Amino acid sequence: MAAPEVAAAPPAPRAWTRHTHEGLLLALVIAEVAYFAHAGSNFFTTGNAGEVARASVEIGLLALALTAVILTGGIDLSVGSLLGLAAVLMGSAHRDLHWPIGVAALVAVAVGVGGGVLNAALVARLGVPPLIVTLGTYSLFRGIAEGFTGGIRNYTDFPPALLFLGQGRLPGGIPAQVPLLVLAAVFFWLLVHRTPIGRGVRAIGFSPEGARFAGIPVARRLLLVYVLSGAMAGLAAVVYAARLGQAKADAGSGYELFAITAVVLGGTSIFGGRGTVHGTLLGLIAVALLQNGLRLADQPAELAGILTGVLLIGAIGANRLVGERSRA
Amino acid sequence: MTRGLGRYRRELGVAAALAVLLALLAVKAPAFFAGANLRDLLVANAPVLVAAVGMTLVVLARQIDISIGSQFAICGVAAGLLAKTGLPMPFVTIGVVAAGAGLGAINGALVAGLGLPAIVVTLATMVVLREGLRWRTEGVWIQDLPERFQWFGLGQAGGRTAIVVAALVVFAAFAWGLRRLAAGRAVYAAGSDPEAARLVGIHPRRVIFAAFVFMGALTGLSAVLTAIQFIDVQTSAGAGLEMKVIAAVVVGGVAISGGRGTLVGTLLGVTLLGTIGPALTFLGTQAYWERALQGAVILLAVSTDALPSFVRTRGGA
Repeated sequence: MAAPEVAAAPPAPRAWTRHTHEGLLLALVIAEVAYFAHAGSNFFTTGNAGEVARASVEIGLLALALTAVILTGGIDLSVGSLLGLAAVLMGSAHRDLHWPIGVAALVAVAVGVGGGVLNAALVARLGVPPLIVTLGTYSLFRGIAEGFTGGIRNYTDFPPALLFLGQGRLPGGIPAQVPLLVLAAVFFWLLVHRTPIGRGVRAIGFSPEGARFAGIPVARRLLLVYVLSGAMAGLAAVVYAARLGQAKADAGSGYELFAITAVVLGGTSIFGGRGTVHGTLLGLIAVALLQNGLRLADQPAELAGILTGVLLIGAIGANRLVGERSRA
Repeated sequence: MTRGLGRYRRELGVAAALAVLLALLAVKAPAFFAGANLRDLLVANAPVLVAAVGMTLVVLARQIDISIGSQFAICGVAAGLLAKTGLPMPFVTIGVVAAGAGLGAINGALVAGLGLPAIVVTLATMVVLREGLRWRTEGVWIQDLPERFQWFGLGQAGGRTAIVVAALVVFAAFAWGLRRLAAGRAVYAAGSDPEAARLVGIHPRRVIFAAFVFMGALTGLSAVLTAIQFIDVQTSAGAGLEMKVIAAVVVGGVAISGGRGTLVGTLLGVTLLGTIGPALTFLGTQAYWERALQGAVILLAVSTDALPSFVRTRGGA
């Protein structure tokens, strides 16, 4: 294995600035908990914690994979559409082809992987900018889902085993889908922060050319992150169908933007190279708590969106002050 | 730099694709070319063209704006509310365009002033503006609009003509300005190399700010041209407009890395993507496949661009 550490090393941040972003986010999360515990009824309960976690799993899966994509300096706008396509194909495999639900779930993941391969091929092989590629597949995947279902077909009657994954609780009151998110988080944390692959992914984000000269297989790494992104979209489709008990062509609309928000709020630079998986998780929690807390405190739902947007600008503004390199 | 027509390879490619589609329609479904259908198509796509002109400026300056769907919704509501105060329609239009310019200036200030990445800034303003509008209006449509609101009070035929003429005037003015005015060339310069542009005395930040302001103003005009086609203003209008417009601009050959592309390409992109949906209906296919086909067209357009350089550098990549 080449030593990717030498490739395009980031300008080493001073120790005190290094964890500032995550520290501030953690403070924000704690402040939210403290505030809503007073302002909201039934906020500070294990039941509500479970509800917050349950509602965050699909976006969380997408955001974890997007962290790796954005670290390479890329973006994947197609994940919400791919979720929709995977969900309806899974519904069709189960209802029309009478495949067992486990196999149908594998179909969803396979569809996600296939979508990821298409994105990766265009980005890594043809060198088309990821924003453009995934804007195209954003339309393509959603469009295939719409065409396939004739715009109206809705897949329901999923078996109890699947619905348990989305609606049931494990011993201890943990929502059944939360372990999936935890597993995915551990996987992505290890991949990004503890393997040469993760170092390579960051190096690509800082400078694809430099990474190539350092012996990092750039195309293979890009393939990996986009395929993982697709696979997570497929997995999120399974969880989505299990939680709502239905799969329509519009499943997951707009999820890509929620996921990107969590990643960027979590401190990952949209230009690549800098960012952490635990930052993304904190960003995800901060947004989820805000939505849930404001609802329980009888505040208008729109306030959550407005505050999220303001936080997002505040977060990148703060990042910029701390010394984000500019690429104007 | 490629010379002659080679420079317009993408524009020619899109024009050829459009020609093939129209030829297919001429053979299989001549009814497509009925006057009423073509007029509907023009009226439906005129507001998209106006927004796409603004997006062309923004992308040429190496930026992006995904908040225009939300700006569009706010401007539509503003048009309805202003008209209800009894203001004459020309002033309503001016007011809405100014409001749009103001919204664009927020993006411009955050991107050019603070140096924040455009995609994140406009993602944030998209959410803030959309949710803010929903909060204020609680999703209620603007109804009971005065008579002179719909079709500018010109009647259906006159109003439709006015919409198409307005879009074409905007298009022609910006196409001329981008080619012939120093300010237009400055957009290309700032987009292709901000540092070089600075050294020849252009202020890239001012150019970027101006591009966002124009984007907002044109989104406002686009919202007016859309709103007057109906008797109510929906507060949820414009959702997804940003993707549609960016797609048209990209298909038309404007490089997302800035500095390259033409408004003629954008016009072709808007026309091609806008024709696909109705064409599917006329060819007897389900219209549900429209979005899939649009996606395929985007991917095809950008891939054919990349293919020659891919073949050349294959060994190295």
